[in-house]
Formats: sequence, structure tokens, C-alpha cells
Amino acid sequence: MDSFSTGSSGTGPPQFSTDEFMDQMKVQLAQAYAQEFLETVREKCFEKCITKPGSSLSGSESSCVPRCVDRYIEATGIVGRALLTSRSNS
Amino acid sequence: MDPSALNSPDLQRFLNQEKEKAMVNEMVAKLTSVCWDKCITGTPGNKFSSSESACLSNCAQRFMDLTMIIMKRIQSMQ
Repeated sequence: MDSFSTGSSGTGPPQFSTDEFMDQMKVQLAQAYAQEFLETVREKCFEKCITKPGSSLSGSESSCVPRCVDRYIEATGIVGRALLTSRSNS
Repeated sequence: MDPSALNSPDLQRFLNQEKEKAMVNEMVAKLTSVCWDKCITGTPGNKFSSSESACLSNCAQRFMDLTMIIMKRIQSMQ
């Protein structure tokens, strides 16, 4: 866990800072969530947009992908809000 | 790392919050994946049709309904 210790040029054990640990965790969590989202969107949009892979992306395939990304983000919002509604009703 | 730092109440609160956030994130991600597959059948357009967005919302709520039904069923068997 050396990455969580502050560098200390003096003697004694490395100082452990709770705030630094929490900050680093937040960054790593955000990166992990973003990575997972990217992989999911890629899989979904490849499936929807690239039906017959050719030697390059066709025009319709290229225009489908950004639309698909926008729709998937929108779908995440719709599902998230529906989840909030059902949680408050249960 | 000093093990006593793990007992910090700030850290415990933080970890519990992040654990909760991770669980919610996982549920939303899984639901979106399942409901996208069920509801968005054609090529994605510039916006959702009203039936597509209704389907997504309904799908999420019905999925949650299922959780309660299944739990009660299993409980009734014990």
C-alpha cells in the first residue's frame, strides 16, 4: 500500500493520511466506473450498429455509433430514475 | 500503514458510503443492460420513441417487482 503513504524524507514509518487515502480511492473508483461504462456501451453499440463487419466502417455505421452512445446514456438515466421511484415506493 | 487508522470513523463512514454507491451503480448498470436488450430492438435513432422510453422505465420497475415476488416465494417455502 505504498501508494497511500505520503513521502517522508525523514526517519520513521511513512505517515498514513486518511484524507489522502479517501481522495485516492475516489479517483480510482471514478476511473473504474468510467472504464466499466465504456466497455458496456462499446459492447451494446457494436451489437446494434455493426451488423456485418466490413473492411471499414460504413457511413451509416459511423453515424449510428454516436447516436447509440447518446441513447445508452439516456437509457441509463431513465432506468436510474425508475429505480429511485420504485425504491421510494417499497 | 498504521492499522489503527482503519478505525477512523471518517474512514468507516466513507467506506460505507462508497460501498452503498457501488451497489446502486451495479444495480443501475445491470438493469440498463437488461432493459436495453429488451426494449431497444432496432437501430438507435436520434431520440427514443415514447414506447421505447416507456418500455425502459417499465422494465426497471417490473424487474424490481420480481425481486419482492421471488423473495416472498422463497420465504413461503421455508
